[in-house]
Amino acid sequence: MAPVNLPKTDVVVIGLGAAGGLAVLPLARAGLKIVGLEAGGWFRPEDHLADEIRNNVRHWPHAVQKANQEIPTARNGRDGPALPRSAYHPMMNGVGGTSLHYWGQSWRLTEWDFKVRSETARRYGPSAVPAGSTVEDWPLSYQELEPYYDKVEYTIGVSGKAGNIRGTVDEAGNIFESPRQREYPMPPLRHAGFADHMAEAAKRLGWHSYCPPAAINSVPYDKRTACFYHGFCGSGGCPVNAKNSTAVTTIPKAVATGNLKVVPYAHVIAIDSDDHGRVTGVRYLKDKREYFQPASVVLLASYTYENTRLLLLSKSKTYPRGLSNTHGQVGLHYMSHTRSGVMGLFPFDLNRWYGTPAQGTSLDDWSDDNFEHSGLGFIGGGNLLVPMEAKPIEAASMPTFGKAPRWGSSWKAFVKENAGRWAPVWAQISTLPFEDHFLDLDPEVKDPLGDPVCRLTVGLKESEKRAIVFMHEKAEHWLREAGAIATDKLPLGPIALSTHAYGGTRMGDNPETNVVNRWGFSHEAPNLGILGASVMGTTGARNPTLTVQALAWRTADHLISEWKSIAL
Amino acid sequence: MSRRDLLAGTVATIAYAFVPVSSLGLARAPALKEVLTFTERQSLEAVVSRIIPAGTNGPGALEAGCARYIESALGDVYQSLRKMYSAGLAALDSHATSNGGKSFVALDATEQDRVLSEFEQNIRVGEYSDSAAFFELVRRHTLEGMFGDPSYGGNANFVGWDLIEYPGPRMYVSRQMQTMDAKPPRSRVSAKQLVHGSR
Repeated sequence: MAPVNLPKTDVVVIGLGAAGGLAVLPLARAGLKIVGLEAGGWFRPEDHLADEIRNNVRHWPHAVQKANQEIPTARNGRDGPALPRSAYHPMMNGVGGTSLHYWGQSWRLTEWDFKVRSETARRYGPSAVPAGSTVEDWPLSYQELEPYYDKVEYTIGVSGKAGNIRGTVDEAGNIFESPRQREYPMPPLRHAGFADHMAEAAKRLGWHSYCPPAAINSVPYDKRTACFYHGFCGSGGCPVNAKNSTAVTTIPKAVATGNLKVVPYAHVIAIDSDDHGRVTGVRYLKDKREYFQPASVVLLASYTYENTRLLLLSKSKTYPRGLSNTHGQVGLHYMSHTRSGVMGLFPFDLNRWYGTPAQGTSLDDWSDDNFEHSGLGFIGGGNLLVPMEAKPIEAASMPTFGKAPRWGSSWKAFVKENAGRWAPVWAQISTLPFEDHFLDLDPEVKDPLGDPVCRLTVGLKESEKRAIVFMHEKAEHWLREAGAIATDKLPLGPIALSTHAYGGTRMGDNPETNVVNRWGFSHEAPNLGILGASVMGTTGARNPTLTVQALAWRTADHLISEWKSIAL
Repeated sequence: MSRRDLLAGTVATIAYAFVPVSSLGLARAPALKEVLTFTERQSLEAVVSRIIPAGTNGPGALEAGCARYIESALGDVYQSLRKMYSAGLAALDSHATSNGGKSFVALDATEQDRVLSEFEQNIRVGEYSDSAAFFELVRRHTLEGMFGDPSYGGNANFVGWDLIEYPGPRMYVSRQMQTMDAKPPRSRVSAKQLVHGSR
């Protein structure tokens, strides 16, 4: 059956998550006609329940989604063993995407993250960059992205406390942040007892903790309520719309302009291109029919794994190796956070049950280039975070710290006493791209359409192991200072699927080593833009979403100002 | 499977992805769909009651309904794990029988604990080599049943939440409730009751 040809539109956006759902607002306001293709549906506030089994154990609503039928595979190294295949895709489909239920942590990257290679070479010599790393400086600086960070923070609403406004450092905020032009639009999330307890311990160590920034309302903002702190925020959507997903911020505003048409449950299968190498539109399935949506410009804004997979699946006469892959760069420079952490057991109740993870306390004394790295054998480091929110299954599934068996009567007595007395310190460690870490198509595993799923080839480098061990020591030190009587470190191991996955369509000036240019448009298909962490060349030591959104807005702005030359 | 099959609507799995969101997932108290044999159910009840025994610290996993929680799930979202349960429960019995001539349920608590410990240590039982994986699965599911939302058949009378002194779901949490020494009054409702206000 031939696809149904739809009327041509100015821009088609593939995926209305954190990135695509953000970019549609500036585009719609500029008067461009946009079709937003989203693999999931609309959610209502009452769809989001305080139900740990549903949200966290069974990963609803991922479990019934398109993404969950194309879960990537992973292997440890090019010749290494397959890693166990995850039962769930880490991300969800839906209008708003995973921003519906993320932790909302909305950090900026730092100046250092944009020039890791040159800054490392300058301070420690070129050989300090780990061998085999393909890291390049970004084609733009922090300063060039700063206005877009600011726009996003004020548009969706981010709560936090500035630590550096135009060079004036304030110890009430994060003193290590790069300069911002003004204060956050909302004060930080409410203080909580245990977060304050950890902050005091950090202060005694001479470390600089702060309330982490979050796209969660600390006060009423933009006609939506402040957070209710009910404690089911992690992997749970917000029943009162206090979490600033694109579903409740930018998307409704874009729809209200009359210029955005949202197509839910649209399963995109390919981006088509012509003999000149330009993209012509998008093919998708909906209600068992195939459609072709022609467009002057295509913005690919699915998750990192699907961005690479869709390009590789979109083969044509001009692009026999996959769309925008003439230089063989699609899928390369893949990274994810080697998230790791240390659990601490305390001899007193912490009352960490309620709140939201981003309501905790955080510090950057051991991240980026904020400390001397000579002799350490790694560059970068990690952000440390103590989150609030401990749901009951999670709390009872605690490590036993060598103090009790894992079941039976004495275990029962142990959790009765201690389920409310332990806490994690999470370390998000910056990682680099390496020659042998990449995404491609799995040669065997296919989705229900018969198309190959994405395959990750990953690993853990010695430099990364050293960084993890270093961060674990710092986290343990912090917990002990706060009164922990026992600690338990997460084991080292390669990360398979991640909610913090980067690369595959890296941004850079050199088309030989990058897929998109400094504006986020393909070096090969000039009217194809790519949004998401797939364009990022370094991870930074903190959550990617705000940077993804700032980049998405910048790409949209570039498209608006250069419309005539890009759209033709 | 071809794209044509999909377009012709013959692929049930993907049609599932197009069910409207709002019609899915509201947790209903599940009517127990019996998927285990009588013997399997007895063994499972015995296992969960050793993982979290009743006793000085209140009711255990059996009283909380963890076996019911697990069986409900095996007839529903955990269908793919049904075989692992059959094989695991059969191996428990065959290990118990070969060591003393009694089935697992007929052993006394100390003997049952010994068998479960051996499973935890991944003992091989004839051809069966998944004993540790099975033990971890049952342990995990027992904790889900004990401490999860009661609408799934476990955590009866909120005994799991009482055990760990979880203050319970509530819509709004005040600043005072988040101080380290606060003891918020216990809220004992399911997630659905919290949103829809019904009991």
